[in-house]
Amino acid sequence: MKVLIIEDNQELARNIHDFLGREGYICETSETLEGAKEKLGFFQYDCILLDIGLPDGNGISLLNLIRAEHKESNVLIISAKNALDDKIIGLEKGADDYITKPFHLAELHARIRAVYRRKNLGGASIVEFNEISLNTDTFEARINDTLLDTTPKEFDLLLYFLVNKNRVLSRQAIAAHLWGDYTDNLANFDFVYQHVKNLRRKISGAGGMDYISTVYGLGYKFNSHKQE
Amino acid sequence: MRLTTKFTLWYFGIMLVVLLIGGAIVYYEIQWKISRVEVVRHQRLNDIIAQQIRQGGDYTEHPTRKRATITPIPEDSVPVGVASFYTRGTGWNPEFQANEYKLVVTSFYTINGSHYRITTYSFIPSFYQLLPGVVDSFKWILLLLLVLVVISGGLISKYILAPFKRTMRMIQSFDLKQKASIHLPRTRTSEFRELNEFLTKMTDKAREDYQSLKEFTENASHELQTPTAIIRGKLDLLMESDIRDEQAILIAEMQNALERLSRIHSSLTLLTKLENKEYEAKEPVCISRLMREALSAFAELMEMKSLTLQTDIEDKIYVPLHASLADLLLSNLVSNAIRHNAPVTNQNLIFVSLNREGLVIANTGREPQVPTTELFERFKKGNPGSDSIGIGLAIVRQICDLSHFDINYEFRSGLHIVAISFQPRLSASKLLQNLSLPLQSTLQP
Repeated sequence: MKVLIIEDNQELARNIHDFLGREGYICETSETLEGAKEKLGFFQYDCILLDIGLPDGNGISLLNLIRAEHKESNVLIISAKNALDDKIIGLEKGADDYITKPFHLAELHARIRAVYRRKNLGGASIVEFNEISLNTDTFEARINDTLLDTTPKEFDLLLYFLVNKNRVLSRQAIAAHLWGDYTDNLANFDFVYQHVKNLRRKISGAGGMDYISTVYGLGYKFNSHKQE
Repeated sequence: MRLTTKFTLWYFGIMLVVLLIGGAIVYYEIQWKISRVEVVRHQRLNDIIAQQIRQGGDYTEHPTRKRATITPIPEDSVPVGVASFYTRGTGWNPEFQANEYKLVVTSFYTINGSHYRITTYSFIPSFYQLLPGVVDSFKWILLLLLVLVVISGGLISKYILAPFKRTMRMIQSFDLKQKASIHLPRTRTSEFRELNEFLTKMTDKAREDYQSLKEFTENASHELQTPTAIIRGKLDLLMESDIRDEQAILIAEMQNALERLSRIHSSLTLLTKLENKEYEAKEPVCISRLMREALSAFAELMEMKSLTLQTDIEDKIYVPLHASLADLLLSNLVSNAIRHNAPVTNQNLIFVSLNREGLVIANTGREPQVPTTELFERFKKGNPGSDSIGIGLAIVRQICDLSHFDINYEFRSGLHIVAISFQPRLSASKLLQNLSLPLQSTLQP
C-alpha cells in the first residue's frame, strides 16, 4: 500500500513512517501543502494522511484537489484540534475518517485498514488469518468453519489484533480503541484484561490456536508465527 | 415601567405643580388687577368731585355723590405725602341686602385754602367668587394637557426611541461567535449615537477576546497534543524493540502517565469549549435513543462486573442538547455508575429512569468521603485512590449548566443518585419523589 503522509511535524511523520514501514507500506511524507500538491501531481496513493494545521494553509483545502483527481485514494484526517467543525467539514468534503492527536499508531493503522477495506474491497469484507476469519459486515468471527460467539467488543478486539499482528498493543491503546477517548477511566484496563481473556478462551474453545500472548508489563501481542 | 410611561408621569407631575403655582398667580393677579382698576376709577371720581367743589354750586343730587362722603378736615389731620389711599374689606351692601366685598378710596384735597377728605366706595366681586372660575379653567387646561401629553408621549417616544429599539434588537441578536462586527442603525440623537458607538466598540472587543481565547484554546490543544502524539508514537515503537522486563515496566508507567496527561488535557479543552458555548443545540435530540445506545455500549462492562441493570426509559424524549454533548453526558454518567459501583447488601445495582421530566441514574456504592456537591468540582474524587482523573462530573455539570438543566447528586442508603431535571422550573431533587420504580424497595435487605 502506498501512503502519503502530509504532516508538518517531522517527528510525528517519522513515527507514522516507521510504524507503517514495518507493515511493508511505502510511505512518503510532505511537510507542506505545496509539497503535497506536487507529489499528488505525479503519483497515486492508496491512502493519504492529512494533517489539518499545516504551515502554508489548512489541510482541508487540499481535499477538493484530492477528491477531483485522486478518487481512489482514501483520506484520513489527522487533527490536533478536536473541533467538531473540522470533523464535520472534513467528512463532508470527502475525507473517509478522522483521527485526533494524540493517537496510538496501532489505532491509526487500524483506521487505515478499515477505510481501505470499506472502499477498495467492496461488498463483503473478510479479514482472514490462517484459521481465523472475520466478516466486518456481519460481525461474524469464525475459526475454520465454527462460528465464534463473540460480543461486539470482542469482535472489535480480535480485528484490532489481526490488523496489528506481531505488534505489542498496550492496554491503553486497546482501551482507547474499544471505548474511545472520553472514558475518563483508567480502570478500564481490568476490562481489557477480561476481554482478552474471554477472547482467548473462545478461540481455543473453537479449536483455534492461541496466538494472543501477554507481553510482560505492557500489554498483548498477536503472534502470527506461533507454532504448536 | 416603560420609559414613555415614566416620562409621561413625570411630565404630568411637573405640569400639576406648574398649574397649581400658575393658578395661584392668576388668581392673585386678577384680584390685584380688579382692585387696581377700581381704585383708579374712584380716584378719578374723587378728582371730579373735588373739581365740582372748586367750581362751587350744588351737586348734592349729582350721580357722582351717590356713594361719596365729603368731609372738611382741619389742616393738622391732613396726612403728609399721601394724596389718597384705599381700604378693602367686607361691608354691608344695602342695595343687595348682603355682606359684600367693599372697596373704599379716600383722597385728600386742598381747595381754596380749606382741606377736604373725599371718600367714595363700591362693591366689587369677591375674590372667593372668582376662585371656582380659576380652578375650573385650570381643570380644563390640565385635562387637555394630560390628553395631549399621553398621546404625544406615545407618538414622540415611538419616533425618538426608534433608533434605541433598533439597537436593542441588534444587541439581542448579537452572538459572540459571529464573524462580522455588529452594524447599528445610524441616528441623529447624540446620546444614541454615543451608545451605539460604545456598543459597537464593546461587542467588537468581546468578539475579539472570544476569538483570541478560542484561538488560544485551539493552539494550546494543537501545540500540546502534537508532542504528546509524538511521545506516544515513540513509546509505541519502543515497545516493539527488544526490551528487558524492567524497561517494559518503565514504558508501561510512562504510557499510563501519558494517557492521564492526554485525558486531562482533552477534558480541560472540552470544558473550555463548553464554557465558550461552542456547542449549541441546533435541534432537539432524542435522549431515549442515546440512553439506550449508551447502556448497550456499556453492557459488556456491566456484565463483567455482574451488575444488575434496572431501567425505566420512556420513548421519544427529546431535549434541546447538542448530540455530542448528550452522548458525552450519558456515557460519563453511566461509566461513573459502573466504575464506582460497589455491592450493597450483596447487590450491585444500576438504576436508570428517564422520562419527560428528567433523568435519574443511581448505583450502589461506597459512601463518598467528601460531600457529594463537591464531586462536581474539577479533580475532586470521592475515592482518592481511584484511577480516574475526576473531571467527568465537572463536564456533566457544565453540560447541564449550559442547557439550563438542574442537577442534583446525593448519597442515600448505599445509593449514589444523580438526578437531572430537563425542565428549568423543576428542581432535580423533586424528580426523586415521583419515580415509577421506588429506589429503596429495590434494595432488599
